Amino acid sequence: MKKSTLLIASLFIVFMTEAACASEPEAVFKFYCAQCHGLGGEGDGPNVTADFATDPRNFTKTAEMEKLSDADIKNVILDGGPALSKSALMPPWSKTLTGQEVDGLVQVLRGFCKCKGAP
Amino acid sequence: MNKFLLLAATLVVAIQTSPALADASGGEAAFGTNGCGDCHYTQGPAREKTIEDQLAKKGPELWYAGSKFNRPWLEAWLSTPKPIRLMKYNSLEEKNPGDHPALSAGDATQVADFLMSLTSDVVVAGKIKAKAHPKGKLIFKKKMPCSGCHQYEDRKNVRGGASGPSLVGAGKRLNPDWILAYLTEPTVFKPVKMMPVFKGILSPKDMEFVSSYVASFKGE
Ligand code: HEC
Ligand code: HEC
Repeated sequence: MKKSTLLIASLFIVFMTEAACASEPEAVFKFYCAQCHGLGGEGDGPNVTADFATDPRNFTKTAEMEKLSDADIKNVILDGGPALSKSALMPPWSKTLTGQEVDGLVQVLRGFCKCKGAP
Repeated sequence: MNKFLLLAATLVVAIQTSPALADASGGEAAFGTNGCGDCHYTQGPAREKTIEDQLAKKGPELWYAGSKFNRPWLEAWLSTPKPIRLMKYNSLEEKNPGDHPALSAGDATQVADFLMSLTSDVVVAGKIKAKAHPKGKLIFKKKMPCSGCHQYEDRKNVRGGASGPSLVGAGKRLNPDWILAYLTEPTVFKPVKMMPVFKGILSPKDMEFVSSYVASFKGE
């Protein structure tokens, strides 16, 4: 009886720590992407001043986001703008984010555009 | 007679030096009594593991302050702080209110002694010299997104983004060797940060060029 309580307690702790380690995709977006793309994904983060040479993508524009496949989005997140012949102001995140975090971000962007990508 | 003078001189020297030796502990005490520890931690290694850990912090970590800052800048800033980050710490919506606590000149000297005693052995001394290197400039402004998030000096103009700390006057504020160490071993200093990791993206040489360039910003 006592042993099983202990077991349940330790399992609980393990789960709690696991949950604490992997952040929700929305939190990942807010932390890394919103500084340029805006908290609502509209391309209006605090970095976007008159100086900012290329507007960050507005993810709520369905017509434009539909043209990008999930693989396109993944590539541009991993390798930065130049990977898709876009501006170098879009940073490369391959050494910063895990594969799981990038997959989560693709879903967050699809949520903003309410669209599926080109296959 | 001569011996006596020598003794007296030695005593004077000893008395003059001993307060300087005791300063790190005096500064540590002043750091505590001024409430600095409420927002800054001073014992390494880095503690942040998740985004939530980073967002819970009320101010930047200072456990490697002695490797990061130039002493004259630090001492002056502690008594007359001016905003470094344009936005409020950890916020994308509010501007920096510019309300950092200021120390008296005396406390600032002592606290600077304490903070300068906090170093990281990851920082290798003597590798980077400030220089407006054309290659560094090209990386900073064109090849990489640095200018998207950091203010910087472009001849007489100030340009650049707002989410990262301003690099205007970075040559006064930052130890050039720390800039390189931060690029080569970012997770030692800031395991969870809004800035991308460039280790493995920029070559070691390119990191040296861009560090020299950033260290060349002199401020007004
Ligand atoms: C420093 C500012 C900045 C940050 C931070 C940033 N981006 Fe971007 N992003 C841009 C800019 C600028 C563009 C537009 C590039 C262009 O159109 O040439 C862009 C474009 C994009 C595109 C569209 C590419 C295309 O083909 O149109 C995607 C997708 C994207 N970003 C995702 C992200 C994600 C996800 C994050 C967070 C991990 C992020 N960005 C962080 C600046 C940024
Ligand atoms: C209420 C929280 C708070 C308190 C108390 C506080 N600080 Fe800070 N400190 C901050 C924030 C936030 C910043 C970033 C300011 C900026 O970017 O302009 C900062 C920046 C600094 C910096 C520059 C660090 C860097 O990496 O840019 C130093 C040095 C510093 N504080 C020392 C002190 C000392 C010494 C005290 C005690 C007198 C103190 N702080 C009290 C919140 C605090």
